[in-house]
Amino acid sequence: MNKPALYLSAASTISHQPTFQNPGFSAALAQVEASSALISPDYKTYIDAGLLRRMSKILRMSVACARDCIEQAGADQPDAIVVGTGLGCLQDTEKFLNTSLTVEGLLPPTSFIQSTHNTMAGQISLSLGNHGYNMTHTQNTLSFEHALLDAAMLLREGDRNVLVGAADEHIDILNDIAEKLGFETASPLTSGASFFILSSESAGNAAAELTDVYTSGGAEYGQEEIDAFLDRNGMQIGDIDLVLYAGTPVSGAVRNIDYLSLAGVYPTASAFALHYAVDLLATNSEVRNVLICNTLRKSNLGLTLLKAVEA
Amino acid sequence: MGVCITGIGVVSAIGMSVDENLSALREGRTGIGPLHYLRGTKASLAGEVKASNEELRAALGVGTEYVSRTSLLGLRAAREAWGDNKRSGVIRTGIISATSVGGMDRSEVFYKDYLAQNDPDYRLLTTHDSGSTTERIAKELGITGYINTLSTACSSGVNAIMLGARLILQGTLDRVLVGGSDALSGFTIDGFRSLMIYDDQWCRPFDESRAGLNLGEGAGFLLLEGEKSLELTGNKPICNVSGWANAADAYHQTASSPDGKGATLAIEHAIRRAGIGLDQVSYVNAHGTGTKNNDHSESVALQNVFGDRVPAFSSTKAFTGHTLAAAGAIEAVFSVLAIRDNLIFPNLNYRTPIAETGLVPATQLKTDVEVSAVLSNSFGFGGNNSSLVLTKYE
Repeated sequence: MNKPALYLSAASTISHQPTFQNPGFSAALAQVEASSALISPDYKTYIDAGLLRRMSKILRMSVACARDCIEQAGADQPDAIVVGTGLGCLQDTEKFLNTSLTVEGLLPPTSFIQSTHNTMAGQISLSLGNHGYNMTHTQNTLSFEHALLDAAMLLREGDRNVLVGAADEHIDILNDIAEKLGFETASPLTSGASFFILSSESAGNAAAELTDVYTSGGAEYGQEEIDAFLDRNGMQIGDIDLVLYAGTPVSGAVRNIDYLSLAGVYPTASAFALHYAVDLLATNSEVRNVLICNTLRKSNLGLTLLKAVEA
Repeated sequence: MGVCITGIGVVSAIGMSVDENLSALREGRTGIGPLHYLRGTKASLAGEVKASNEELRAALGVGTEYVSRTSLLGLRAAREAWGDNKRSGVIRTGIISATSVGGMDRSEVFYKDYLAQNDPDYRLLTTHDSGSTTERIAKELGITGYINTLSTACSSGVNAIMLGARLILQGTLDRVLVGGSDALSGFTIDGFRSLMIYDDQWCRPFDESRAGLNLGEGAGFLLLEGEKSLELTGNKPICNVSGWANAADAYHQTASSPDGKGATLAIEHAIRRAGIGLDQVSYVNAHGTGTKNNDHSESVALQNVFGDRVPAFSSTKAFTGHTLAAAGAIEAVFSVLAIRDNLIFPNLNYRTPIAETGLVPATQLKTDVEVSAVLSNSFGFGGNNSSLVLTKYE
């Protein structure tokens, strides 16, 4: 099937790096340390103070990034809102679980209401007054890639602008669980949110093109799966200027960067990698093709291929 | 030819198989009653699946106890829908499941011990994340490649079917097993009670006296195939997935809008996508949870779309309870049966129309009808509204 070009016309990330409203951030990144904090914007600029008080970290990050994207793209309303999250609204889930096991009598419902995985997508639609397609994908470490794939399909079906993003939030008990289950990571577990506008047309403001996205689960991947993906897109690994990877570097690549060392570890950190790639493609003329290879979990392979917008 | 349904599977409070569910629907027999398997909750009534985790595991041949009830229910329905189909190197096969609680039934066992510092078993948490429930089902069926989970609260099941159909039409997959699964948990029972929409009596969808929902549990799965897959499997289509739509209500995080905006958009777009006239919809399997808010908003939406010609409609939730993310998939299976066997299922517990809308659901089983197209609605938290149109295979 002949796939039309898809453009990334806005990107917004809240992370440990100075990513938010800071084009060119990719030139100056430092490794995430256990002691470093998320760099948060002034949320009151994006969210009504009354609503903000009730919002958990993942909700405020998501709504702020979504609104920032809409402003950047100058689009009134996206045709659809698609979100990926690996673990969903953990802060509210733990809060309600705790309340329901310890409090007798009538329980306050707010944390239950905000515990469902689609609270981010729902709150964004409320914040924008958007009545379009509204979807939430949750497939472990591939949640964002699945959201991106859905967004790409929507554009092929006729949508013009889709707001697509991902978010996950860290709660303290995760460190304890990771230790008890023997889940060791070189970088700290943390939170992050990244949103994008994916468009079927470039209004001259697109930072990069999304060439293709692919997911595969349930079996250990092999190098041949990566080669076949590149081959379907008329490329070889030598054509890729930069690979951003989680898990294992891609052999034969000119340059590999471990994006988890920059984003920290969370199930949808590949969305951070996408923004990182988009920023590089827009600001560094030596980078033309980027592959994101997400094998944060060995049995889950996520591949995202990007290229610079042709001048 | 479009997208065909060639296999169905269901487990719910009214039965462990398609045949058992159909018998109960025909006989007007509910599965809602006092809880027997899930202990220590405050719910007086719920639609429990009548089997313990041990019994489910034994019947499915699943050895490990580190598996959520959500996965076990899903696997049971998925196996029935999958039937005797074989894995294939040629037919690109995927699986999409929907769940809202994931492995919460296990996580709350852990968390209780964790709070009490009573030697909590951390391995119980390996089934917590929603994606793992689908990965477990995929593993048992030997499906690899496209494995995905949707979680949009109570509309999730319909969304899984919609996504599967789109993946086939775009040529990404040739066939896909789609559905949803949710187990009862203390977490969701307490949650709906905190919202004061959990009825301690038997739920009464579309009745003026309705006072809330009863939760249920279960799973529904459907095997969707495109043209290429059908040629290779030789499977006989039961009906077509013809229309679908999802729209945001953008009114409130949990409540539906009084003008039924999102629901109206979803219903209109799904029927338009199916390319049929309003008068060709034979039956509407409504979301009909039994809450004041949903049933009013859904009635308004039906009137917005159909005017004074609302088709025969009923909610089957007084049979199964509200099974959350599984509801859209279970009710899609019921809708397939409505078309296959020309049936309209009764809306139990209805007596008096809702004053503002006056709509009267079907209250008796109808067997003397031609059912050629069914609209199935599922609406969820976050203003997430989805509608599906299934049509007779032609």
